[in-house]
Amino acid sequence: MSSLSRRARLLVTIVAAVLLAGFATGYAVLGRHHPRQASTGPVPGPALMVLSNGQLSTVAAADPRGPREVTEVACDRVHAAAATVACLEPVGALSATRLVVMDQRLHERQRVPLTGFPNRLRVSPSGRMVAWTLFLDGHSYATTGFATQAGVLDTRTGKLVTSLEDFAITRDGRPYRNVDANYWGITFAADDNRFYATLSTDGHRYLVEGDLAAKTVRTVRDNVECPSLSPDGTRIAYKSAVDGDPAKGWRLSVLDLASGTINPTAETRSVDDQAVWLDDRTLAYALQTSDGTNDTWSVAADGTGAPRLLVPGANSPSPLRR
Amino acid sequence: MFLNRAITTVSATAIVLAALSAPEVTANAATATFAAVADTYVDNSATGTNYGASGQLGVDNSPIKRMFLRFTVSGVSGTVSSVKLRVHTDNVSGAESGSGGTFRAMSNTTWSETGTTWNNQPAIDGATLGSIGAVTANSWYEIDVTSYVKGNGTYSIGVTSTSTDGADYDSRESGSSTAPQLVVTTGTTTPPPAGDVLVGAGDIADSGSGDSATAALLDNIPGTVFTLGDNVYSNGTASEFANYYAPTWGRHKARTRPVPGNHDYNTSGASGYYGYFGSSAGDPVKGYYSYNIGSNWHVIVLNSNCSAVSCASGSAQVNWLRSDLAANNRPCTVAMWHHPRYTSGANHAPNTSVAPFVQALYEADADLILTGHNHQYERFAPINPSNQRDDARGMRHFVIGSGGAGHYGFGTILPNSEARNSDTYGVLKLTLSASSYTWQFVPQAGKTYTDSGTTNCH
Repeated sequence: MSSLSRRARLLVTIVAAVLLAGFATGYAVLGRHHPRQASTGPVPGPALMVLSNGQLSTVAAADPRGPREVTEVACDRVHAAAATVACLEPVGALSATRLVVMDQRLHERQRVPLTGFPNRLRVSPSGRMVAWTLFLDGHSYATTGFATQAGVLDTRTGKLVTSLEDFAITRDGRPYRNVDANYWGITFAADDNRFYATLSTDGHRYLVEGDLAAKTVRTVRDNVECPSLSPDGTRIAYKSAVDGDPAKGWRLSVLDLASGTINPTAETRSVDDQAVWLDDRTLAYALQTSDGTNDTWSVAADGTGAPRLLVPGANSPSPLRR
Repeated sequence: MFLNRAITTVSATAIVLAALSAPEVTANAATATFAAVADTYVDNSATGTNYGASGQLGVDNSPIKRMFLRFTVSGVSGTVSSVKLRVHTDNVSGAESGSGGTFRAMSNTTWSETGTTWNNQPAIDGATLGSIGAVTANSWYEIDVTSYVKGNGTYSIGVTSTSTDGADYDSRESGSSTAPQLVVTTGTTTPPPAGDVLVGAGDIADSGSGDSATAALLDNIPGTVFTLGDNVYSNGTASEFANYYAPTWGRHKARTRPVPGNHDYNTSGASGYYGYFGSSAGDPVKGYYSYNIGSNWHVIVLNSNCSAVSCASGSAQVNWLRSDLAANNRPCTVAMWHHPRYTSGANHAPNTSVAPFVQALYEADADLILTGHNHQYERFAPINPSNQRDDARGMRHFVIGSGGAGHYGFGTILPNSEARNSDTYGVLKLTLSASSYTWQFVPQAGKTYTDSGTTNCH
């Protein structure tokens, strides 16, 4: 360890401390007034929300390995956007879980009882729509014979779509029906109506583009799982099954929607996550080590560079843009 | 308060105190060094903040900072003659202090490195191991912890200070050259533990190759073989037993006492399971039974497929269990079934239906519980029925779903979970001694993960 890098690290800590002192009242105060938590200072400035072994936490985006605010809110999966924080509570007996929708101070606004194992969770960029995926049967995308359920809550109207399974499917331009349809990994566009998701049917795992109001989806491309739409709406980050075989793992990749061009990212380890966009150039995702430790990594979306350990001991990341 | 200190521009050369370098060693002695596997500190001026990912550790009395270190000692054989804890002070001005802190053992060895805060900190409740006096920056210091670290296992050490001038140490994130470490010196090699062997796993035979890898381990381990349910996939049919189980684990059928799992019950009445194992599996309408090994060990097999055979308090099965325990006069008892009462696995939540089993076993001072269902390995500390640490009467819970079926990941890690692995097929070998048991996770060929230790019977 050189003294230089140590000094650099210390400087970052000092800068963070100054920010903390100067901006504590100016930024959103996650956790500060949460009734289930003792009073603590928030992390400063732009932040990342994560789960630290299932506890909702925040770190400063400028110093993600620095001081971490740990709340007592327990979730299996969390995501936040705009003024909305969504949490799928830890699964209990008989696969019972709940979606809890909170404001930025973690005051509960809505809750929806659900059944299944929490897997994916996404808040639309406006904070209005919350979409989730649960495993109903089986537990791994790497196998066959599992069942998922993907739903959407409109937090403004309270309207609940418990499953996309009733949506009308257009496959390769033709109406299509099949009882084997499974959906997972919903991601919303800026208009809070258009969305993308994965539709598994007939041995294919399609990227579908959906229309929530019209209750329709249409297939866009095969072998695209867990899509995540970029903030500018032009690209989809997703996991691409190696050789089209999920049992071989997935390569985190980026699809340009206009050109159809695919860029595999520099992350060569198998990623089984719905990646998030930290900005229009950078993806974040979680990887688990064999002892069960989750780490959040980041990598450039254009295929360049190398993966970087962003937040050790954390998963389910979301950037809090303030 | 290192945040407010000026930065010094000292040389990067570590100043290692010569007197602290080479411990005295005896003939046949070996030394092994273990870096901390987790370290963090908490601060009462920021009660909800965690510092687990940072490069520094602090102890102080104003604000109050407490430091937590965790080590896993493994692969050590022979008598432990000396164990030293070594910590390195930070290379910044202000790291120095009139007091380096007081070091104590802790009973909680499973706190979260990135989740521990002042609000939820573990108790520093064990024996005092020693104190360090005045410390200077960028130096190594030692504490003799031989009284605490007796061999393979997980150890946790908490550090406090009564000085208002705090000391700052390097954390494991600072790099391997300055991370906290345990230096373990062992003397002459002790013979392996003597006793009868009980070996096995759950979640075993399918069309893949994991079952062959674990069956090959059994070929070289004598003793009684146990299974922990889901002997075959996916439906417990006679043909699955013939095609998947018989060619692999079936080589050891004559010395196997099995456990039924939910996949075995996918065939009505688990008729494939009972048909294959015959009388070794007990009464086909019950699936629970018990037997003895040697003169000191009692083995209880229970049926956690509770919709087929009730597990409730007052059920025939739990009444039988209580009678069986009452009639048992052997000093050591191991119980096994399929669905884990406690597990950190992502795919199956802790199962409350089997709580009446755990309660009855705890009341009878049983020693350990073996389960499967989540396809991974996990070991808990001795715990009471509410998953609270209990070194007096607690039972160790194991999940050994590593028998061959494709691995699952972990979710939120539960308190008291001491060891986990999700990428290695393997079996658990238990050596049953007169008044203790020694466990050893034996990995498939080509893999290195292992976990071992010894615990006395109650």
